[in-house]
Amino acid sequence: MLEIRSATKSFGDVLAVDQVSLRVEPGQMVGVIGRSGAGKSSLLRLVNRLVSATSGDILFEGRSISGLSGQDLRAWRARCAMIFQQFNLVNRLDVITNVLIGRIGTAGTLPVMFKHFSTHERGMAAAALDRLDLLPQALQRADTLSGGQQQRVAIARALIQNPKLILADEPIASLDPRNARLVMEALRTINKEDRMTVICNLHTLDAARAYCDRIVGMAQGRLVFDGAPEALTPAVIQEIYGGADDETVDESLTSTIVARHRVAGTAEPRVVQSAH
Amino acid sequence: MTMRAETAGKLPASTHSERISAFEEHYRSARNLKRLWTTLYGALFLAALVGSILVSDFSITGLLIGLPKAWNYIAGTLPSLSLSNFWADLADWYWGINYWLRLLVETILMGFVGTALGGIVALFLCFPASRNLIDNTAIYFVSRRLLEFFRTVPELVFALIFVFALGLGPFAGVLAIAVHTAGSLGKLFAEVNENIDPRPIEGVRAAGGSWAMIMRLAVVPQALPNYASYGLLRFEINVRGASALGIVGAGGIGQDLYVAIRQFEYTDISAIMLLLIATTAIIDITCETIRHRLIGQDLTTGH
Amino acid sequence: MTLTITHGEIARLRRSNPEIFRRPLAERLREWGLWLGFAALLAFGLWWIDASPLRIWNGLSKLGFLVVLMIPPTDGGAFLGYCYAMLETLAMAFLGTLIAAVLAVPLGFLGAKNLVPNRLFHFGLRRVFDTFRGIDGLVWALIFVSAVGLGPFAGVLAIAVGDLMVFSKLFAEAIENVDRKPIEGVRAAGGSGIQTMRLGVFPQVFPVMMSHVLYFFESNVRSATILGIVGAGGIGLALSDRIRINNWDEAAFIIVMILVTVAVIDNLSRRIRMRIINADTGRK
Repeated sequence: MLEIRSATKSFGDVLAVDQVSLRVEPGQMVGVIGRSGAGKSSLLRLVNRLVSATSGDILFEGRSISGLSGQDLRAWRARCAMIFQQFNLVNRLDVITNVLIGRIGTAGTLPVMFKHFSTHERGMAAAALDRLDLLPQALQRADTLSGGQQQRVAIARALIQNPKLILADEPIASLDPRNARLVMEALRTINKEDRMTVICNLHTLDAARAYCDRIVGMAQGRLVFDGAPEALTPAVIQEIYGGADDETVDESLTSTIVARHRVAGTAEPRVVQSAH
Repeated sequence: MTMRAETAGKLPASTHSERISAFEEHYRSARNLKRLWTTLYGALFLAALVGSILVSDFSITGLLIGLPKAWNYIAGTLPSLSLSNFWADLADWYWGINYWLRLLVETILMGFVGTALGGIVALFLCFPASRNLIDNTAIYFVSRRLLEFFRTVPELVFALIFVFALGLGPFAGVLAIAVHTAGSLGKLFAEVNENIDPRPIEGVRAAGGSWAMIMRLAVVPQALPNYASYGLLRFEINVRGASALGIVGAGGIGQDLYVAIRQFEYTDISAIMLLLIATTAIIDITCETIRHRLIGQDLTTGH
Repeated sequence: MTLTITHGEIARLRRSNPEIFRRPLAERLREWGLWLGFAALLAFGLWWIDASPLRIWNGLSKLGFLVVLMIPPTDGGAFLGYCYAMLETLAMAFLGTLIAAVLAVPLGFLGAKNLVPNRLFHFGLRRVFDTFRGIDGLVWALIFVSAVGLGPFAGVLAIAVGDLMVFSKLFAEAIENVDRKPIEGVRAAGGSGIQTMRLGVFPQVFPVMMSHVLYFFESNVRSATILGIVGAGGIGLALSDRIRINNWDEAAFIIVMILVTVAVIDNLSRRIRMRIINADTGRK
């Protein structure tokens, strides 16, 4: 069980995460929604310890992970696998080696320097790729794959980490609707079949509604909503997405509104079609 | 948006002629400033020129006397080859070919071993010398200064020191090349590292990789083609450099060239120089082909 | 909740995808061959140059002894003399670079494919440019000392001759890379051949040439510091003298002087280069 106790992260004067407290039970699939810059990404990075909290504490199965360092920190990172918006694969390595990177958290330094992995580890990587329908591409270079395939390689990498928890940071924001659906379905299957806890940052309400058991809304670094998808009323959505502009948010238009925010904010707009 | 708001606020306040005169005023001051800089640079340049001529005893008469002398010297090194007796003349010119070829092989080997050893050291030093890969400022600072020291002290000075410490011969020369190469390649490698895509680094770190693993799996695969390309370029330079190290007794063909020049064995000078030119040309062309293939490969399968 | 995999499953995957577990023999052989070849060549080279751990060990103690001798560096009362020698070095680098650059301009125009479209001529000239790069600057210095006598004049000539062909090649490439549109613009406005060069080609090429020249000036300052070792004047003469008579503390002083001078020149020249490049983009 993951427990975040009033975690705060500031970058200079900017409060990215502001006193967030959250408990996630094993086997849940949690969608974190909010506008760009609401602190969703920083929250996941705090859990994986890619960044350290300014104050507050994070506990996993009763043990604090805030003070971990060295080998313990690496082991913790291996236990909570991370999936990124831009996949973060090593382009010039082949797919199977990219998946095997999932094993380095517990591996010795010398074998890794020679990219040596045991037969058992290679078997795990091959099985994970097979599960995601990517076994035929195992020996291709990662950058020859499409975006959706690359994200599935990243999921395979996460799987062979034997994680207790998967953190997915905008896994579908760079994908077209069809690939986005494939990736979300893969995450949902892992959640259901392996009883894996998944925390997933999403821009779009419809994807969150379609795939998650529980939705957490963030705005300006604060937790503003925590509940079942059905509890997302127009007023709540207004609070999460409306922000300071006081523009009216019509739920039937969430996808387009999200797309418009992305035009104003960062990358290219993507509209994720809901799966039902 | 803000820019438009500013100009929109200003526009109605000024008339057409006011704007033209304002522009001319601005243009005039910009032009004057530019003229000032040009004059300043010109004056600096002239001062440097006059100073240099004074200090280096350079004079037109010196040039007029010196250039024909230099030309006569170079012309004098050329052998007399006759068509009727061509092969015998050639054999006479290249009387020492076996010995010279041996020295040439030694020169190339010196360049190779020096580049390889220096490259290995550079490979170890380039990661702590890359700003994006190291958090510890002290380590970064020390590795940067060390690389700077290695490449700023002239190779020949290292050669003089190593000849004193290790005795005459190619070993001293190779060490001098290696130290200088470690400095220059280390700096270039670090620059390559600083320009790589940071996302794979984050990916490997998030999977639980240690610092060494991140370097091996996220940094090296991206930077390797550039390392190889710079290494080959350095090899070309080092073979040239190795040919001069013999002058201070550090091995290679330079030693024999030095003797030939000092003892005025004219045709030997041209014979050895032509050998050197041919060797470096062959190495240059070979390395250039390999480098183009390395980079071409990257362009077709990478992005 | 852990991902488990049975031996049977591994065996099945290994049968269907053997290359995931072990790369094909040919590929492995090629890789091993390359590494072994490299290692063998390195070992052969080390054997040839007579490198041995014992020699390094003996050398190290001597090197340590040297370092002790070098500390503290002293000028031996000849600081002003060293400064003058350093000025001589800078003057050699400056004049050598300048002469090479001025002479290389016409050669560069001759070597540019787009201005002199004769392919045979172009190919021949380029080979000549390449050929002269094969000789190290120190060898040129040795030759010019023999030809015109000891002193900085030989150093100036050595630097000029060593750089002339490299400059010509770089200038030719810069001219080949000019943008056609401004040239056509000047020509369309009724410009003559010379005017086209002055207004269409020159403004584009000049910043590139200047940046090359400054860069080579930097590197020539480095190489000029050692030309004195063969008698071509400058600080190198003083340095090799001190080393020859085992005055290591004074040699160390000169080395530090070289380091400082090179650092200052690098810094200045980098700033000027930045200015030129910025002014250039600003004009566009």
